[in-house]
Amino acid sequence: MNNRKLLKTIQYKFLIYIPLTLFALLMMGPFLWLVSVSLMPGKNVFSFPPAIFPTFIDFKNYVDVWQYMDFLKYIWNTVIITFLGVVFSILLCSLTAYPLAIFKFKGRNIIFIALIATMIIPAAASLVVNYLTINKLGLINTFTGVVLPTLVTVFNVFLFRQAFMGIPSDIRDSGKMDGASEFRIWWQLMMPMIKPAIAVVALFEFMANWNSFLWPIIVLNTDKYPLASALSFLNGQFSYNFGWIAAGTVISVLPIIIVFLLTQKYFMEGISGAIKG
Amino acid sequence: MKRKRVAKLSRFSEVQTAWLFMGPGLILLALFTFWPIIYSVPLAFTNYSVIGETSFVGFENFKRAFSDINFIASIKNSLLYMIIVPFIQILSILMAILVNRKIAGIKFFRAAFYIPVVTSMVAVSIIWGWLMSSNGVLNYMLLSIGIINEKINWLSDKDTALWALMFITLWKGLGYYMMIYLAGLQAVPTDCIEAAKIDGASNFQVIRKITIPLLKPYVFFCTLISLMSAIRVFDEVFVLTSGGPGNETLTSSLYIYQQGFEVFEFGYSSALGLIISFIIMFFSIFIFLFNKKGGVNPY
Repeated sequence: MNNRKLLKTIQYKFLIYIPLTLFALLMMGPFLWLVSVSLMPGKNVFSFPPAIFPTFIDFKNYVDVWQYMDFLKYIWNTVIITFLGVVFSILLCSLTAYPLAIFKFKGRNIIFIALIATMIIPAAASLVVNYLTINKLGLINTFTGVVLPTLVTVFNVFLFRQAFMGIPSDIRDSGKMDGASEFRIWWQLMMPMIKPAIAVVALFEFMANWNSFLWPIIVLNTDKYPLASALSFLNGQFSYNFGWIAAGTVISVLPIIIVFLLTQKYFMEGISGAIKG
Repeated sequence: MKRKRVAKLSRFSEVQTAWLFMGPGLILLALFTFWPIIYSVPLAFTNYSVIGETSFVGFENFKRAFSDINFIASIKNSLLYMIIVPFIQILSILMAILVNRKIAGIKFFRAAFYIPVVTSMVAVSIIWGWLMSSNGVLNYMLLSIGIINEKINWLSDKDTALWALMFITLWKGLGYYMMIYLAGLQAVPTDCIEAAKIDGASNFQVIRKITIPLLKPYVFFCTLISLMSAIRVFDEVFVLTSGGPGNETLTSSLYIYQQGFEVFEFGYSSALGLIISFIIMFFSIFIFLFNKKGGVNPY
């Protein structure tokens, strides 16, 4: 009897772990192979049969591509863009969301409808006009020009609004009693209470800005490119030098994967929190 | 007494404060979300480009669009891209069901499935571009297990190129949809499932009769966002095929970009953007209405 039960658990575990491992191989395999290629100097990824595992490990590709590409510059560009994007998204979106959640005022519904309407309108059509606007503002080839159009998104505003609505009104009242200004109530009382929402927006914006590609290549010159754009540039320039491109790709994805692994819990909670029905 | 002091202290009325708070955000939204839509309408009726004088051309751009084989092909490809959506749903629901349990190492598996989501599409495109080349690992593996008889150049063969790109898009998105469904699964009340099991329902029956119906709102949400992202598909096409072979993988976003920033025909590009906006608006309104019927609110 006991034996049969044991057999059943083993069977069950088998049925779960086999597909899990297969999926994991499908999702992770390409990355592992990329790391493998980056450690094989002088290997052609198109030789047949292809080299899958390195015969010996060598970091030469990393050293070479780092020196050739001035990766530090691209990482720095990406860091600035990401920093600006994350900080100002949080500030502007929460400022916009706060009155929508707390205040009762004329025009609130109109703003609401306008915000929802933007969700129906696709981004594809905005490229040309946004380029002209950024050009008029004299922001071509500036990081501000890259960041500005994506700072306020309806998604983030709604997320913050939801969070603010969850705070009991007593807190704002007590702030008022003590004579705090509305701005101070927002900054010192409300913002600390919606930390989970801030974390979610921060992570999403981090990801979006770190990986942004199309808009930077439109607005910036090559020396101001962030990592993703620089990578496509590297791929075009050295399409024959696979080790370099592989090493460059690893360098560009490593920071975001590390951030993801460190903040995994919030990432995953964040998504589920963001779409609660 | 106290009340009076408070009223005196705030220099602005509540309405004014509200607008002060929302001002910067609304200005940015107006400038970069509403203005493009408004301004691309007059722009679409001109021949505005980098060279030459700009003049009003009436419906010329629209006429041109509907006889432009590349544009028609791009619309066709984008619509086809939207058809892969249901497949994303099925696979990621399966993944979510698999990782929705407390067993050893489950955190590792969740993270592993999610890593493609956080990496840039450019990096993902480079890796899959190599894997899918005619001498690539994919062909090697498929040849050795005998699924194919000869090497296929997945990304430059006109029969497979679009499907290969769709696979890459799908592969990158799977983890994202999985997490949404996982959230949905964890919201399914456990007593509901236990009650069904006591009544003798099999695992499969539970999934089909309880889990799937309760996941419906999440399916709607995923459908909506994956439709939106299908029309936006750009990075992978730009890096891997630039629309080729021929116009086999030309998507509408890429074509708008090409007309705007490679050929510099801003007027024509705006017209194309407008046409595509209308197509997407049609789809979104359709889904929103559908959504409402189900009594579901994605926010």
